[in-house]
Amino acid sequence: MKSRCSSISELLDKYFDQEVTPEERSLVEDHLPSCPACRSALLSMENLRNLIKSPVEEAVERENFPWVWEKIERGIQQEEKPGLWESLWSWLDMISLRQKKILIPAVAAVVILILITAPLLYEKISSYPDLSVVEYVESDTYNVMIYEREAPRVTVIWLFEGPEEEPLTS
Amino acid sequence: MDINEAQLISRCQQGDQEALKEIFNQYHQKLYRIAYGVVRHREEALDIVQEVFIKLFRSIHQFKGRSRFYTYLYRMTMNTAIDHTRKMKKVPPLSIDEEEGFQLSDDPDRRPDRILDHKELEAKVKWAMDQLSPDQKAALIFREIEGLSYQEIAEATGCSIGTVMSRLHYGRKKVQELLKDYVEGGEEV
Amino acid sequence: MRRKASFFVILILLLSPLLGNVAFAQVQVRVRVMEASNVGSGFDSSLRDLHDQLGSLFSFSSYRLLKDETVSLSLNHPVSLPIPPERSLELTLIDQHRVTAEIRVKITRGGKELLTTLVRLAPGRSVSIGGPKRAEGTIITALSRPKTTQE
Repeated sequence: MKSRCSSISELLDKYFDQEVTPEERSLVEDHLPSCPACRSALLSMENLRNLIKSPVEEAVERENFPWVWEKIERGIQQEEKPGLWESLWSWLDMISLRQKKILIPAVAAVVILILITAPLLYEKISSYPDLSVVEYVESDTYNVMIYEREAPRVTVIWLFEGPEEEPLTS
Repeated sequence: MDINEAQLISRCQQGDQEALKEIFNQYHQKLYRIAYGVVRHREEALDIVQEVFIKLFRSIHQFKGRSRFYTYLYRMTMNTAIDHTRKMKKVPPLSIDEEEGFQLSDDPDRRPDRILDHKELEAKVKWAMDQLSPDQKAALIFREIEGLSYQEIAEATGCSIGTVMSRLHYGRKKVQELLKDYVEGGEEV
Repeated sequence: MRRKASFFVILILLLSPLLGNVAFAQVQVRVRVMEASNVGSGFDSSLRDLHDQLGSLFSFSSYRLLKDETVSLSLNHPVSLPIPPERSLELTLIDQHRVTAEIRVKITRGGKELLTTLVRLAPGRSVSIGGPKRAEGTIITALSRPKTTQE
């Protein structure tokens, strides 16, 4: 019985996955009624499958894939667009040597000029980050939560209505 | 592969994005199941699906029809998902705020305490699966979530049927041991 | 000679945004009010630019646009507009620093101040104010500045 059980238990995975031959199926099904250990092993496999599978099924059921295709299209377009450096190099290759001798120093001079003059012309530019920022919030009526996040850039002010707030009717 | 699918693949290989969209419509749910099975996180799974279809469009010319198209897709998805987990190195459990936002609800199944139990269990399952080797994890996900046959798993993972059986057997054994409180025979989960 | 002229033209063109318009100009603010709920599914196309933000934060299945209006704000001149549910939104431009506008936002109902906040908005950015319930949904008001060079 013991050696029979050990040889049957080697078939249990295959039986559970319905990958057994008809002969193997008969062997297992003849053995199971008299072997609680093998029955328990099968039940464990079933429980494990449910544990692994159920959350995934639930996730798929509630998922409506918002904008996924649009993001894929955008991703493909971004891959197809030549990068800035590629465009610059191909442009540099196209212009003649004589033009390169004039344009490159001219562009370099302009860039240096901008770097020198920019701080003089901008005011308070470093004080304000690019992110929208909530300076203050006041509310005597609501409990308020401010949520800010970097990627994607989100700023949300959330007002928690209490139970005493009567529903509005028009 | 049926003729329609062969035509779609051919059009896609020639750069036809409409063909890719049709492939997307047919497969995105299945690939999401696999991705979610690996990462157990909605946004990451959606990112993986997006990445797979972008990669597919770039590399579909490499598909020569030597394997079935869906096993080719599944392999791409599994590899992308596993690469993603390596980059992310997420630590369970998930916080409710990350997964659920702060939408208030009266549904009892969506109360924070119920969600927390559910999330904790899901985090434990993810942790247990993460203890497997990538090959064992892939075999288990393909079998338990997608219901692929041993032959299909062998094709998707590039190994023999005997290797698939071995990975499934030892993978199951390891995860059952790690989750024994939940899977031991005699109790329905 | 031509090269020198081209050089100075390029220089002036590159520097002109820096000189810009330092005087206070009108600031455009787009006000969009939406009803977010789990009844049905769909995302109004006018809210497309907010999709990533809202989708990353909330798990509502439907976002329905109720109001879409763009107002022009001048310094210290409040602009009011009605917003659901039966509230009033008042926007006042308080200050402006290059690209960023400081805007005071007041929400009132029946003359009573419910919320006052001061936000700094740069072009292309948005702030959302949400929470009030209406029927099966929740009202979210998104304030954003269009990405334009001229306002």
